[in-house]
Amino acid sequence: MELERELGALAVEWPATPHFRLELARRRRRWPLVAAIALAAIAAVFAVPQSRGAILRFFDIGADRIQLVDTLPPAQERALDAGLGVHTSVALARVFVPQLLFPPLDPRPSLRRSGDVVSFVFSYNGKPVLLSELRGQDYFLKKLVGNETNITRLRVRNEGYGLWLTGKPHIFFFPHEPARLAGNTLVWQESGTTYRLEGPGLSKRGALDLAKSLVNTP
Amino acid sequence: MLRAQRGDPRAYEELVRPHEEIAFRVAYVITRNAADAEDAVQDALVKAWRALGRFRAGEPLRPWLLRIAANEARNRRRSAGRRERLALRAALTSGEAAPSPEDTVLDAAQRAELLAALDELSDDAREVLACRYLLDLSEEETAAALDIARGTVKSRSARALDRLKEAYGTRA
Repeated sequence: MELERELGALAVEWPATPHFRLELARRRRRWPLVAAIALAAIAAVFAVPQSRGAILRFFDIGADRIQLVDTLPPAQERALDAGLGVHTSVALARVFVPQLLFPPLDPRPSLRRSGDVVSFVFSYNGKPVLLSELRGQDYFLKKLVGNETNITRLRVRNEGYGLWLTGKPHIFFFPHEPARLAGNTLVWQESGTTYRLEGPGLSKRGALDLAKSLVNTP
Repeated sequence: MLRAQRGDPRAYEELVRPHEEIAFRVAYVITRNAADAEDAVQDALVKAWRALGRFRAGEPLRPWLLRIAANEARNRRRSAGRRERLALRAALTSGEAAPSPEDTVLDAAQRAELLAALDELSDDAREVLACRYLLDLSEEETAAALDIARGTVKSRSARALDRLKEAYGTRA
């Protein structure tokens, strides 16, 4: 009894409790996408003539929505690794993206997470490349594309179709981050996961080869 | 809770913020490494957020969170494969301040000896005593954190106290 009392009375110097940055995204449900598409369709039907030209068309690939617009809003150039979120372990990243893909590099790139999006920047042929991965098909990432950006539909990793954006930079909206200018980008969907590969000096062939080289294990 | 379960991250952060310190300390008792404990709790808080829909409203949140944090901490201890010392120190008391009734139970050297003796116990024994007496967790919270039955908390605590008495006796 005495030992219990002595233990209970011990004042212990614990290590300082860190500040935990949770970086959580609002949990998504499927219905907002359905509602968004329905609303967009209704809006298109009833749009007044002077506003009809603002968004010419949009289409979704996985969780990425690409909107074609006649005039791009202003946006800044930012580093590829800006605003990618907190550092995360592979184990936790897989909670968000079970079909996590990596380039075959050693050491493995350092993973970052913002909301449900896992991203990392690595060097490919001496140039920086950003790979972002996101499970699900609900619209979450957004691109605004003007008429000087070319969009090509192509086959990626022998799994399905993707889109290759090249030409004049488009505007990319990452969750909770200001819009930024984005260079050549390959977006595709595979096994319920959306992958986005971006590199300012990336060629179409290079992007497809790189996508093909991605593997499940780091 | 309802707002958090409906997917409001701010509401969730408000819910868990008061429990972060105790979760970190439980994780530290298990991993015996502050960096691993931090990673464990960071991951646990995110996993708890994703599992919040399955949390039964009306149940106490703290044991549920501690269970998840402790589980993450055990995973890290397993993968780290190292055995670290607990590295806890008894808090120093100011020489100028009047000693509290608690301080009069043991002097500084005895407190250090008691912590050293605790550190020499097996993981099971050390963890149950640290949870019950150093962290002042209830039996229910200790059972949740250590993933054992409440009855096991009692029996394991009793055995651990016996072992601590032996270890401390040989040191003192």
